[in-house]
Parts: sequence; C-alpha cells; structure tokens
Amino acid sequence: MQIAVSGGKGGTGKSTIAINLAIALREHYDLVLADLDVEAPNDHLLLGVELANEEPVELFMPRFDYQKCTRCRKCAEVCEEHAIITMRDGTPFLMPNLCSGCAACEIVCPVPGAILPGKKLMGHTYLTETPYGFPLVTGRLLEGEERAMPIVSRAKKRAQGLEKELLMVDTAAGTSNTVSKALEDSRLIIAVTEPTPLGIHDGELILKLAKLMEVPAMVVVNRSDLGDVAKVREIAEKYGAEVIAEIPYSENIIRSYVEGKPIVLTDYPEAGLFREIASRVVEFLGGGE
Amino acid sequence: MQLVIASGKGGVGKSTVTASLLYLLKDEYRFVAVDADADAPNLDLLLGVEHWEEERELVGAKVARINTESCIRCGICQERCPYDCIKVIDGDYVVSELTCEGCNVCGLVCPVPGTITLEEVRSGVVRKTTTRYGFPLISAQLDVGRPNSGKLVTEEKEWAKKLMGELGLKHMVVDSAAGIGCQVIASIGGADLTILVAEPTPASLSDVQRAYKVVQHFRQPAYLIINKADFNPGFMALREWAEAEGIPILGEIPYDRAIPRSMSMLKPFVEAFPDSKAADAMREIAERVREEILR
Repeated sequence: MQIAVSGGKGGTGKSTIAINLAIALREHYDLVLADLDVEAPNDHLLLGVELANEEPVELFMPRFDYQKCTRCRKCAEVCEEHAIITMRDGTPFLMPNLCSGCAACEIVCPVPGAILPGKKLMGHTYLTETPYGFPLVTGRLLEGEERAMPIVSRAKKRAQGLEKELLMVDTAAGTSNTVSKALEDSRLIIAVTEPTPLGIHDGELILKLAKLMEVPAMVVVNRSDLGDVAKVREIAEKYGAEVIAEIPYSENIIRSYVEGKPIVLTDYPEAGLFREIASRVVEFLGGGE
Repeated sequence: MQLVIASGKGGVGKSTVTASLLYLLKDEYRFVAVDADADAPNLDLLLGVEHWEEERELVGAKVARINTESCIRCGICQERCPYDCIKVIDGDYVVSELTCEGCNVCGLVCPVPGTITLEEVRSGVVRKTTTRYGFPLISAQLDVGRPNSGKLVTEEKEWAKKLMGELGLKHMVVDSAAGIGCQVIASIGGADLTILVAEPTPASLSDVQRAYKVVQHFRQPAYLIINKADFNPGFMALREWAEAEGIPILGEIPYDRAIPRSMSMLKPFVEAFPDSKAADAMREIAERVREEILR
C-alpha cells in the first residue's frame, strides 16, 4: 500500500512533513520512504544520512552503425523529440540531450544492427538505511539532464521492490506528469499547503490532480499563522478533502531542522501535531475505525 | 541582456526576490519579465496581476490512445512502454494520460495498424499582461498532469523577445522554475547570466549546487543572493561554497516577517514594507545589480 506527501508549491514543507510522518508511522507500519523529488532530493539531508547503495539509471541511446545504415531517415522521422537530425544524404546524427531514450528509432529501423543500443546515464537511485527504523529510497537526476521521468519511475520501482507494508512517497512540487507518476497507486495523498495566496493557488492544483487521479486527499496547512486558513478549508471542501492539521510557523521546527533532529522526536509541542497527523493516516488506512 | 533567477528548488524566495528586484529596477530600465515556472507560476500573483491581455493555448503535448475496438490485447504496448504508463483496466489496455510522455513507442510496437494513435492535447497556456508597474510579464500555466516541457519556456522566451523588439525593451528577466529539469535548462540556456537564490541550509545548498552545475554547463557567470541569511547562524557552508567557486554574493536578505506578510498582500515586499530590514537589504542588492550587472 502506498501513500504520498505532495504539495503544489515548492518550499511549503513537504519534505519536513514527509520525514516526520514517516518516523511517526514507523510505529504502525513496516515502511519505506521514497524521495521522488528527483531534481532536488532533500529527505536524506533532513534525515541526516549519506546516500548509499548507488545504482545508475541508464537509458537507451541509439548508436548508428554507418556501415549498415541505408540513410532511409525513418529513425529521424519517428523521433518525437527531434533528437535525430539527418544530413542531406540521410546520414543520421543524434543530439543526445534531446534523446528521451524511448527506442522508437530502433523499433522502426529496417536494418538489423544499424542502430545499436548505446547507453546514457540519466541519474541514480539510492537505498539508504536511516537510524529511524526505515529505509529511504532516493532518486537523483544528473545535473544537465532534462528528463526526470525515468528517474522517478526507477526510484519508485526500487522502493516497491522492497515490498514493505507501506510505501510512503515524497513528490516534487507542482502537478506535472512526473508528480502524477509519483502519486500513481496511492491510497491517500497528504497535500501540504500554506495559507498564503500563492500556497492556496498551487494547493488547489494538487487537489485537482488528486481528484483527476481519483485518490482521496487530506490537507496539512503548514505555517498556518501566515495567512487565512479559512480559505484553504474552502478550497479543500470544494475538492472533497479535509484539513487534518494546522502547523503554525515555528522556530522550534527550524531549530530541530538546524540541529538535524526531526521535530517529531523532540519534546517540543509541535511533535504532537505530527503524531496526530500519523494517527489520522492510520485511521484512514485502517478503514476508519 | 537576458538574466535568469534560479535556485534549484522552490520555496527559498526566488519569486519574492525577483518581484522586488523588478520593482526596484522598473523606473530605470526597460525590461520584460518572464515567469518560467509553468508548473507553479507565482510571479503574476506577487505582482498583483488581475487579468491577462492575451492568452495562447499550447497544444504541444502528445499522449497515446488505444482503440479498444481493434486492440487484440497482446500486451506488447504495456511491455515496451518505457515509463509504465499502460495499465489493464477491466481487461482493456489503457494509457494513463497523466503520466504518458508521448514517445509513441506503444504505437510503433503495436501489431495492429491504427490501434494506437498519438493525439495532440492541450498542455497549457502562455499569456501576457502589462503589470501595474508598467513592464510586461509573460507567464505560462501547465495543465495538470502534462509533461513539464522546456518547449513551453522556449515559447515564452520567444514571445518575450518579440515584445522586446516591438517595445524597444533592453532586458529580459526570467524567473526560472524550481529544480534542474527541462524548464530550468530552457530558462538558463541562451541567457547571459544567472542569479542564484539560496538560503543557508544544507538542503538549499545541495539544490543550488546542482543548479550551478547547469549554469556552468552553459558557461555563464553566476551570482548569489542569500535569503533568510540569519536563519541558521553558524552555517557557513553556503558562503564558503560561493567563495570557493568564485561566485560573487550580491547580498544577504535577513529573515523578516515583512516578506510573508507582503506575499499575502500580493505586493513585492520592497513596496509593501519599504522600511523593513529586508527591504534595506534588497535595495542594496538592486544597487549592485545596477553597478555590476546592468552597466
């Protein structure tokens, strides 16, 4: 079973909430946390661990055997990304940065062996043990590479492969298709938002996506004293989601972050808020007893 | 001159800093602003934009569709989809429109011609307005679940360039998306320089280092603005990194409640709270941008 922590806007505290919730949920489930914000993965930093067990994510990239190539241009015609250009005589060239690794060119090439399977490194996935009793899977896109989707997809598979009772996914910001990929198969989405006009605007988008994907959502309002929570409730209601927690702006959360100690494990009063979110999640997943 | 503001991650104050910088430069310089974060565009909100003068639909995105009538349920499409976007629902093979990248591999491997087609769908809108501060803003909004495309940013920048020609504008200021993916690459590519915004935390440092690698890839100069500079005393790694890399620090903005309050008022903080300490710091930064970048 899978749940996801997501939020429209960057910097709303998704990762902070994800790691604290994971620690709190550890008492109830055997779980794995997957950081699928592959462009800016930070859960390991918040958990104070060094990424380990690196595995490369390589994509297919065509290599042309010019001895065999008949210059038919089919590969260039089929390439949706226009990554293959042809010279006047039809000789194909690849622009590696545009290649999405889909292998369509290889599929249409009429000459066996004219397109050889080269490999391109897109990023890595990691499997890191944490001192909190659950492993962390991280996807990390290589700088300069554009495509986040393969990394999200592979990191998620790696986490699924651990076959834990609960897979908790921390997504990127926004509502693009890589976020959809991360959210896919979730039983529940915890949408993190701020009550500011910007937070509400972006928060509405994630609720819209949850609705499109037919996944129930619960809303956690972070920095709840920075704006008008009533407006968040209004939006949440519109999408059939419930606001389950309000976390005020807190020096303690910053302090715990700076000290590298997750707030849920401290004696600060905010710890209780996270335990409450966890119990709401348990209640929901357990069928609402 | 085309300058980009990037951070590697959302939430460090990129758009807040951009809005205030634009506000401080607007009387002296003629520029067009571009919000290149189509996934979560916010610059329009911070600049109090209420309506768009012009909107263009973008139908760039493609998704595959499977005709269940002619489908023989061989499953090859599902097997070959590089991104696991094809599911079996009630016995039918169905492409998830919210995750499909439109690569057409399924269509190519399908043994029944015409069963899988690639259809163009709307990916979002690109829009233009004139802000109440006088300068134009180009922004975009990606539709929910669409591939996050650098093409969208390129489209925005094309429009901005056209406006520069028409209106005789000298500069383009691009507020980049978070992260380091295609939108960011499209933002930074073709620019003259990048201003990085970061906060003194290990997470922000890690993200900005990744963004800087993209900047280096394009061999551009970079500058750094440290936001919430006093938020984590004792954390020297951000400043040390900038120094070691030779990235000039344009200034440091202290954590100031005036900033979130100004966001709720939908105004740049230098306009909403000109007497705040954050505004003082921002004016110093604008001064350095004038002297060192726009000269």
